[in-house]
Amino acid sequence: MPDTAAPRSAGLEPALIKALTAAFTVFIVAYIMVPILVTLIMSFNDAAQIRFPIKTWSLVWYRDFFGSSQFTGALANSLEIAIGTTLFSATSGILAAWAFERYVFPFKNFFYLIIMLPLFMPGVVLGLGVAIAFGGIEIFGFQLYGSRLLVMIAHSLWAMPLVFMLMEATFRTIDHRTVEASYDLGARPLRTFIEVVVPSVSTGIVSSALFAFVISLNEFVMALFLTDRDTQTLPVLMWLSLRSAGTPRLAVAAVILACAVFLCLTVIMLWYIRQLKKTSR
Amino acid sequence: MPALELERIRRTYGGVVAVEDVSITVSRGEFLTLLGPSGSGKTTTLRLIGGFERPDAGAISINGERVDHLPPYARDTATIFQSGALFPHMTVAENVAYGLRMRGVAPAEMAARIKRALDIVRLTGFEDRYPAQLSGGQKQRVALARSLAVRPAILLFDEPLSALDLSLRLQLRGEIKRLHDELGFTAIYVTHDQGEAMAMSSRVAVMNKGKIAQIDTPTRLFHEPASEFVFTFIGESCCLPVKANGAKICDVAGTAIDLRLTRKLKAGDWRLYVRPSRLKIGKQAEKCDNRITAEIAFTEFLGDFWRHHLKAGALELFCDYTGPENFKPGQKAPVGWNNADMSVFQ
Amino acid sequence: MTAATLADDVYAAAARRARRTEKLMPFALMSPALVIAIVFFGIPTLLMLRMSFNEHVPQRLYVPGFTFSHYAQLLSEERFVTAIWTTVKLSLLASCATVLIGYGFAMLVWLKPARWRLAFIGLALTPLLISEISIIFGWWMFFPKNGLLSYALLSVGLISDKISLMYTEFAAFVGLVYITLPFCFFILLSIFDAIDKRLIEASGDLGARPFTTFYEILLPLTRTGILVAFAQSFIWAMGTYATPSALGPDTLWTIGYLIQEQMMGKSNWPLASAFSMILVVLVAVVILFVRSLNTERTRFHA
Repeated sequence: MPDTAAPRSAGLEPALIKALTAAFTVFIVAYIMVPILVTLIMSFNDAAQIRFPIKTWSLVWYRDFFGSSQFTGALANSLEIAIGTTLFSATSGILAAWAFERYVFPFKNFFYLIIMLPLFMPGVVLGLGVAIAFGGIEIFGFQLYGSRLLVMIAHSLWAMPLVFMLMEATFRTIDHRTVEASYDLGARPLRTFIEVVVPSVSTGIVSSALFAFVISLNEFVMALFLTDRDTQTLPVLMWLSLRSAGTPRLAVAAVILACAVFLCLTVIMLWYIRQLKKTSR
Repeated sequence: MPALELERIRRTYGGVVAVEDVSITVSRGEFLTLLGPSGSGKTTTLRLIGGFERPDAGAISINGERVDHLPPYARDTATIFQSGALFPHMTVAENVAYGLRMRGVAPAEMAARIKRALDIVRLTGFEDRYPAQLSGGQKQRVALARSLAVRPAILLFDEPLSALDLSLRLQLRGEIKRLHDELGFTAIYVTHDQGEAMAMSSRVAVMNKGKIAQIDTPTRLFHEPASEFVFTFIGESCCLPVKANGAKICDVAGTAIDLRLTRKLKAGDWRLYVRPSRLKIGKQAEKCDNRITAEIAFTEFLGDFWRHHLKAGALELFCDYTGPENFKPGQKAPVGWNNADMSVFQ
Repeated sequence: MTAATLADDVYAAAARRARRTEKLMPFALMSPALVIAIVFFGIPTLLMLRMSFNEHVPQRLYVPGFTFSHYAQLLSEERFVTAIWTTVKLSLLASCATVLIGYGFAMLVWLKPARWRLAFIGLALTPLLISEISIIFGWWMFFPKNGLLSYALLSVGLISDKISLMYTEFAAFVGLVYITLPFCFFILLSIFDAIDKRLIEASGDLGARPFTTFYEILLPLTRTGILVAFAQSFIWAMGTYATPSALGPDTLWTIGYLIQEQMMGKSNWPLASAFSMILVVLVAVVILFVRSLNTERTRFHA
């Protein structure tokens, strides 16, 4: 006996859902883009104060930024520290991830916890810890406190676990038979790692290295604790200037910082595209 | 001197024994297949030979030298893996060159050997392609070329054809056999497909639960199986579980069955085996030593012959028939076989 | 000793050596990472713990000793208790909002076709790629009297006079949600990706309307994911200090701010350490909670 209820209509729901989705999308996009757009716009402001509406547009503050040795020095510090962080964290993270993927050893969970734990700690805690522990230490007359080296290591506390996590996932996608095939054909483990493993995960390596670079470049809480006037990074300088000299110069600094990051991203994308071209013609 | 000698090899994982007391001697140029169901230890044995695993006990020698402590890169073996395991970021030529590079072969000779290897597997002209651009069969051929190029003492095949579809499998099977005849390499081949094993090998080692059930030539395995396991694993067979009580034969439950056996059986439970190709149905059954009357349950048409599935009480059997009679489901027919074609196990 | 047994011994020794290198290799590979984690995080944390019990006099950073006075101060002095409570409250609120928005965003991306996905993921990544200070600065130009918000509302006619939302709890809240949103989004997206879309189709096929499907199917399946995302957002919110202190009122003190104040401003290392340890303990508790949820989830799904 067929169901003789009245024919069902779609009701208001589909239209309501569509409206909600559209509204939500607009909200999300607006929410995320607001600070970015505001900063970008303000950097081209001619006036000395931060105010809307913008009356005249110019590049005067860009010129000011590059003319200020304080700001360019801070930028140089940031880049230098970021490079150091990338080297430390990429090497240690990749090697550790390979150990986890390829080898069997006891207490794996315990070691995993040790390596990953710093990633979850707030920057304040990490910065404070390093400052207290290493603040007064001098090695051969080289004072650790305020040194770029110490900041590089502090940044690695976040960057290294991140690289480790990303590389662990990447290594899992390797066909282990190719590693065995390489051994089988006569290549020792180190040779195999360089010739077979690394090329297979080159995208993963490039991505995680660049993430490490970006993290270090943007980080400012640990840097605040660990740098002095000579070695301060750009974000630290921006923070210190915030209350005292809130001018469009800070907007320019923010834009420059973001440009460095997006440059890195472009490198990743280009590399990725090149890899894709190679393996699937 | 044998090319390969395994002496009482043992390998366990956790509490499970994967390979137990395995001893094999392989002469140069032999094509030995390790055949068995999954879990029989055949793949583990192959990996032990290749060096990817180490035995817990026993010795492995290649060309007279002990190798069981050596890692894969120190052994003179080359493996062809199930998925090919080609290096995805290298071209075909670079893949084939890899092992030669590791052995320090001079560039001129390397180029010649690569060319020869690709010619042998009939992939000339594919040098600059990447694995992602190759079909499954082509990938396996590159894997073959890569292993052949290094001219190892032993070639190890780890179920290389299982991932391919049927026609490709048959084609490559023939190719491997041709290569073996042409080049005369020593090969250890692992498969669970007995057709493959029988077609390609000089000898087959049938493995079960980590042990070797029988090593023999394919024909001897088929006609002279040493155990019930080998009998049922190689070729097809019908199993009739019966209970003998003096002259009476009944099924395991105790019900009497219409089975006439000329061969005397001691009292107790028995399993009778006959190959379906040796069962005669209908008129031809009447001339046989042993006879049973069974009812046709259903019939399969398999192209060259009919396969009739029959039931006699609790017993089930099937026989292959090419003859003129037309049997229908539900029909009762006599089925017969000779003593020479029957194996009995208690 | 026969030649055979001598050869056996040699091979046995070689085998033992090979096994030993194989056993030690992973530890060698992990050592740089372990050094970084233990020497620069493990030991400092222990030192910080020890430091929190030291004494303090105004002229020096710290005086070696052993006292609970800093912890007592933390838990009794009104300013500090308020700070701890404020941090927790703000973080909880922010986490709720983050999870709500993040959930909607993740569901949106999950349901939309593939070509939208890349764009949205890029969008979600953006706050992560921009320095916190730049983000603070961006909102710093949005909320005040002369900022974009005021200007926009004025030009549209919604308000008649310039308005400032700067240095309000609302501004701090908005900033905090902004910072924690991307992490929350990615966690929830991976939860959604693990769900077979055909379940939605099946639900519809059996007669359920969209909201019913959401309530009966999606919500239960993503429940543990929501808890995990909430816990992670909470950790992150607890940890950041710059955003609330820059965007919020001067009375809005967070633990992070107090740590910085005691460390750099008042040079009271023991007190700063005590605050730090409280934060560490809170984070550790939440991490353990998340782990226990995760193991429960895999049991349910596997």
